[in-house]
This record gives sequence, C-alpha cells and structure tokens, in this order.
Amino acid sequence: MPQRVAAPGDVDALAAELRESDGRGEAVVLFGGGTLQRLGAAPSRFDVAVDLRRVAGIVTYEHHDLTISVRAGTTLGALARALARHGQFVPLDAPFPARGTVGGALAGGWLGPRRGAYGRPRDLVIGSTAVLADGTVAKAGGMVVKNVSGYDMSKLYAGSLGTLAALAVVNFKTLPIPQAQRAAIAALPDGTRERAIAHVRGLEMEPTVALAVRGFHEVGGTDGSDGRLLLVYEGSAATVDRATRELRSALGAAGVPATTIVDRGAGDALQRAIDACVTPLAERSATYRWLGLPSDAEARCAGVGRVARRHDLTCETMCDVRNGDIIARASAPDRDAFAARIVLLDEAFHDAYGRIVLLSSPDAVRDRLDAWGPPPASLATMRALKERFDPRGTLAPGRFVGGI
Amino acid sequence: MEPGTAARDLAERLVRALGADAVKTEPEDLAVYAYDAYTEGRSPSAAVIPSDVREVSATVRIAKACGAPIVARGAGTGLCGGAVPTQGGVVISFARMNRILELDIANRRARVQPGLINLDLSRAAEPLGCFYAPDPSSQKISTIGGNVGTNAGGPHCLSYGTTTNHVLGLEFVDKDGEVVRTSIDDAGYDLTGTLVGSEGTLGVITAIDVRLLKLPAEVRVCVAAFGDVEAASAAVSAIIGAGIVPTALEIIDALIVAAVEAHYHAGFPTDAGAVLLVEIAGAADDMDANESALSRIAREHGALSWRTAREAREREALWASRKGAAGAIGRLAPNYYIQDACVPRSKLPNALHAVEAIARDHDLAVGNVFHAGDGNLHPLLLFDRRDRRQAEAVVAAGIDILTACIELGGTISGEHGIGFEKRETLPYVFSAADLATMARVRDVFNPAQHFNPDKIFPSGASCGEVRPPRGGSGIAAGDAWL
Repeated sequence: MPQRVAAPGDVDALAAELRESDGRGEAVVLFGGGTLQRLGAAPSRFDVAVDLRRVAGIVTYEHHDLTISVRAGTTLGALARALARHGQFVPLDAPFPARGTVGGALAGGWLGPRRGAYGRPRDLVIGSTAVLADGTVAKAGGMVVKNVSGYDMSKLYAGSLGTLAALAVVNFKTLPIPQAQRAAIAALPDGTRERAIAHVRGLEMEPTVALAVRGFHEVGGTDGSDGRLLLVYEGSAATVDRATRELRSALGAAGVPATTIVDRGAGDALQRAIDACVTPLAERSATYRWLGLPSDAEARCAGVGRVARRHDLTCETMCDVRNGDIIARASAPDRDAFAARIVLLDEAFHDAYGRIVLLSSPDAVRDRLDAWGPPPASLATMRALKERFDPRGTLAPGRFVGGI
Repeated sequence: MEPGTAARDLAERLVRALGADAVKTEPEDLAVYAYDAYTEGRSPSAAVIPSDVREVSATVRIAKACGAPIVARGAGTGLCGGAVPTQGGVVISFARMNRILELDIANRRARVQPGLINLDLSRAAEPLGCFYAPDPSSQKISTIGGNVGTNAGGPHCLSYGTTTNHVLGLEFVDKDGEVVRTSIDDAGYDLTGTLVGSEGTLGVITAIDVRLLKLPAEVRVCVAAFGDVEAASAAVSAIIGAGIVPTALEIIDALIVAAVEAHYHAGFPTDAGAVLLVEIAGAADDMDANESALSRIAREHGALSWRTAREAREREALWASRKGAAGAIGRLAPNYYIQDACVPRSKLPNALHAVEAIARDHDLAVGNVFHAGDGNLHPLLLFDRRDRRQAEAVVAAGIDILTACIELGGTISGEHGIGFEKRETLPYVFSAADLATMARVRDVFNPAQHFNPDKIFPSGASCGEVRPPRGGSGIAAGDAWL
C-alpha cells in the first residue's frame, strides 16, 4: 500500500509531484480509472499513488481537422461523448469507458478488436505531452496527421505501463462515425465452429469485429456446443445490410441454423466483450491475452483450453478471428481450488506459449504468477531505455517486462 | 594514424569481411553515395553492398572499431540530406538486400529486405488480392527500408496511414553489431514504432515485417477543376470537415498541370487554376453515394468540372502523372526547390495563401502539387541556380514557408524527415527539453553517434564538413519525387 496519494490538478502540478518524488527516491505508481491496474507484475516498491484523473478535459478539438487534444486523465466516455457531438470517434476500444482514462488505455497498451479496421490506439496518436520521472515536460508530434519531425516518442510511451513517463496530454486523429453498426450473434452447434469461421473469413465484406467466443456469458448470447460467434459490421447502411445478409447465408451453409442480428445495442455488445477481457470472477479467475497470427488463432485457442482443462480449470475464451488474439479466462469453482491450480497453469502457459501475458489476476495469487513470461530478445535495449528515462527507478519499478 | 591510412585500414578490413565485390573505395564509385535529392553531399570513405544481415553486422563492427560513421542508404530520394554521409565513413547500400522474404497472404503480412523497391511489394501482392498501402510518389525507385527511415507517406496515407502504421516488426543491427528483432506484438516498449521515422540514427534496419491490406472491391478516381489553388484547398478542408475521408485527395496547380500534361497527356484540365484529384475506394455499393457527396461539396466550393475515371488504365494514367509531377518540372525552370511541410487541414487555404505571398515577396515563381487531404504541402520554388539572387531567395523563402506553417499550427516535415537540411529548423517546433528527451532515445541506441551523424538534432556547432560542390545551399538538384 502506498504511503501517500497525490492528485495533481494540471500538467505543472504533475511535473512538480514527479520531480519531488523522484528527488526523495520514492516509487510512484500512476493511476487512471484503475480498470487496467492489474496489468503487469506488482511493483517492487510503491510509495506514492499519483492519481491522474484531475489532469482531464479537452485541450482543443479541431473537429474540422479531425483532430483532438485531450488531457490523459479524461475518461474514455467523456472523450467519446465530445467526439460524438461532431459525428466522430477515436476507436480506442478499452474496457469500462465510464471509468477508464485515455492515458490508461494508451499506457496499458490496450488492443481492441476493431484495430484490424481502424488501427491500434498507438496508430491514432499524432502527438503527446509526457512528464518524465525527473519532472521534465516533453512534447512530441503535433496536431497534424503527417509528421516526421523528430522521434515518434508517443509510440514509446504507449504501452510502457507508466514505467517511462506519465502521459499528460494526448493528441489523436479522429474518424467519422460509420453510418451504420450492426452486430450478429450466432450459437455454433457441435462441429460447426471451424467451418463457420472459414466461411466468415471467405466473405467479401469483412466484419469490423469477428470473435469466436466460449463462455464469457456477461457478453450476451448463448453458446452452442461449439460456442458462439459475435460479429460487428460497420460502414454505410447499404454495405452493412448486404454484409449481414451474406453472413446469414454463409453461416447457414456452414450448418449454423440461426443468426441473431442486433441493430440498436451493437455497440453495447462490443463494449461488453471488451469489458469481459479484464473482468474477474470473484477472486477465482485469471485472464490471459495471447497475441499471434490469425491463421492459427483457432488452433491456439483450442490448445489454451486443453491445457487449462488438464489443470482442472475451466477456460472461457474469446478468439479474435481477424487479429489473432486469444483472451482466456481460467477459473475454478472456488477461491481455494483456484489458488491451488492457477500457479501450475501459469507455468504451463508460459512454457508452451511465448507471448502470453496476464491481463488480470486476484491479489492473493498475483505475486506467484508470471505476468509477462519470457522477455523478448530486445530486453537489453528496453532496460537501457528505462535506465535513461528513469535512472532512479521511480516509475512503477518491477511492474514491466523483465522486471523493468 | 594518418587519415589516409585510417581509410585504407577501414577499406581493407571491410574487404576481408565482405569480399572485394561488396566494397567500393574508388572515388568515382563513391560519388554515387555522396548525395540524395538534397544538393549538398560528401563522399564516404567506403561504400558496402552487403548481401545479408551477417555482412551488415560485420560492417557495423568494423566501422565502429575504426571510428567511422555508418549511413544506411535506400534509393536516395529523400529531400533533406538524410542519406548524405556528412562526416564520411561507411555508406551501406541495400541494393543486394532487395527481396521479399515471405509473403503471407493468409495473415496479410510480408517480410521484406530493406532494399526492396516499394512498388515491387504491391506488384507481388496484388495478384493475390492484397497491396502494401504506403505509396510515396517515388515508389517506383524508393526502397521500403528508406521509407521506414523517414516514415514515408504518399497520396494514399490519407485513409491508410503512413509507413509506421504498416510496420509490424523489424530486424536491426545495433550499435554493437548485434542483431535485434522487434515486433509490435512483443511485450515491452514499442521499439518498432520508435525506430520507424528515426532516419537511420538508431541502428541499421535489415528486415521489415509489413502489413498488407485487402484490395478494395472498387476504385474510382475523380478530377475536379477549380479557378485557383485556394478554392481547391477550401474544397478539401470542407470534404474533411464533412467527415468524408477518401483514399486520396491531391491538389495540382495550373503551373504543374501544364508541365505534367505536356509530358504525360493523362487528361488533366489545362485551363483550370488548380486540379483536385480524389480517389475513393471500397464496396461497390457505396461508390455512387460517396462520389455524389464529394462532387456536391466540390461544386459548392467552386468546382468548374468533375470527371470520373472508372477504368483502371485511365486511373493509372492520372496517378502516373501525379506521381511523376516533380520530374516534369524540368520543363519550367533550370532548378527547383521543394519544401515539405504540414498544416492542420482546415488551414490549407491560409497556408497556400502564405506560400503565394512568400514567393511574391522573394520574386520567385511557385508551383504546388501536394497531399492536400493530409495538409501536407509541397511548394516548388522555381529558379535558376546561376542567378545568385534567386539562389539566395529560394533558401530564404523555404525558411519563411516553414515558419508560416508552424505559425498555422503545423510542422516542418510531413514525410521526408528532418535529415541534415532541417535540423537547425527543428528548434522552431520543439523546446530544448523536448529535443533533450528525444536525445535520451538516441543516447541508448547510438551513444557515440556512429549511426547517421548530423541528422535530425540541431548542431549548435559548425557543420563545415559538408561541402556544397554543386553550389547553392539547401537546394534540390536532380530528379525529385514528392
């Protein structure tokens, strides 16, 4: 537990707070809405919690330019509402937008299921202001959509989990909200999963989101014996209409009897799927993310399920057919059974799959799980960056890859 | 060691490691590696043409041991001297590392060597239903490695994003000659995103994983004529402001249209003050509605005509002449100077107005051909190098244009980078603290500044090593693409 909580009200106060903590040798953990706070390992030292939610609000919104500059503590919901007034959006697609912040989604390296269509959050960032551990306030990029002026520092801060700098202001390019959005949910009867996915892949009109789900009932829809599909289409009314028609017949041909179309509420269904990625089952579950190629995503997803079952844990999965991610939530009927089994599963996952990382786990077992697995080959360079940006190890020491 | 001896020692060690066939040391061979599309240049001590990553690694180790700087070179189409070996040393050419290593259509990705010519990737992927989106106008000759170095754009990055949005991972040789692999899917810091656009100052990239996109079902290219370039740019601002993002929005003014038409005969209207080139792509269902929305906005902003190219051959002719525009300028003046700057898109009319006023103040003719949808300007100042007044005016006007763009909320490079030319201009955009923070990254990857010295960061000191043998300063000389 931290000794102190600070909630600076603006960028200057944030800079002063970090400079002073750094000077005193205190370890700082940055907080937004807390929705992704369980990402990564538990920090090895933790003296001050710096709550960034007061560094909030829109700096400038140039809706005619399709650009916006927001303070990092702005909630995703507040950003979305401001943009929607001008028919625009920034598809960050992170969990719990009413609480989650822009800075948190970016620093957490969040990846949503629409990124195949619209790009990763880091691809939507055109500039930023960051505060380094020593209080240096540094800008990069700007408010133009093409920019090769100096290093692209925003890419370095995005996904750094608050271990290099505190994002204070983020500039985005915005997109026009598509005219139509429609979700399709289909329960998959026994033996239809592979064919159904192959048929979806073969469609001319690509879904914006294509998830093959097992479990995760809070998302909505009912599993068949082979789980269910959750697809989202976005585009003009004409294309979305044709796409869902073609989908229905393709799924029918794959032996899937019924496809439910959700018109109003498609966005809510998508958000529920995103929220589910970090939603624990009362102290008896851990959720992993495994990024990989789309072509073998189904096989990897099945493998994850088998390994979990071998450890006597239930495994719910969301397989992102378009981007290749697997989200796996392993759980046991009760806390004690979970705690007894998860450590071995965690080891088995990391032994078998290099790139699997922990998104969420209960405090009781967090220290016994490996949040990151084997570090990437470029770890030495990453360590050197940390050392150069935060030589005193002020920012969330130990939370990141390889003990950074 | 005497300088001559040091160079001989360097050359001998490189020959031992790579073979005589892969090392150039004769002055007449080295002249090729002295320049890019920026005028000033300097010959390196040696140029190497490695065949694989091991040879790149060996080159880096030897150069480091000899204290020689290392400059990686693509096709040399950059405008800002980014590939110029300003302190001599070793230039690494990727002419022999120019292959597609893997084309993975199922996962829409490819692994390529840095010397691969940009267009060759789309040519290989198109029969399989995919394409590589970044398409700088130089794509017939520029390399993907060079594109990664400058985070190159091109007309189609309006809707698809610039090079950085399409790079999935890299292999690079670091300061110690070690081979490092990165992926945007790796846990940890985004080294991939940090290296893209770093202009060869952080390491030598030896392989690139890129994203491919599915070819759109239908493509249309439309040409609208306007009375002048400001009206055309107001139409562009209105299109973006209405929330419509076509795949490309390019403006060509009358001066350039005349030169281009004389050369390519693609059918651009030669009686208009400016031409707007609009490309839309996507599902066939949307084409008519999108085109009519665009043509309505264009007409509301004074479009005099609207023509649609539906046939592939017609579209390709329009694009070929657009992308070859700079090459046709030779008809207009003995020399030209191209600026690359970017402004918020709603400020385009102001920026164009400023460019015209600046050219007038300096008594220079100016042409404009640019990526309007992105706010990325490319004013071409025409002049005669032999006229000393004009040569000086061009340099001053270039700086005035950059200053005007910064004042409009823009920046000093949209797609060519800072290189050598603009490094003293970078402090107009960033504070000392901003630049010092960027320098922390350089400190990690390139502490001794062996990789591409004198680039991006302002010198504060002399840069007397660079000789301007072709005369003039900061003036693009040969063929250029923009």
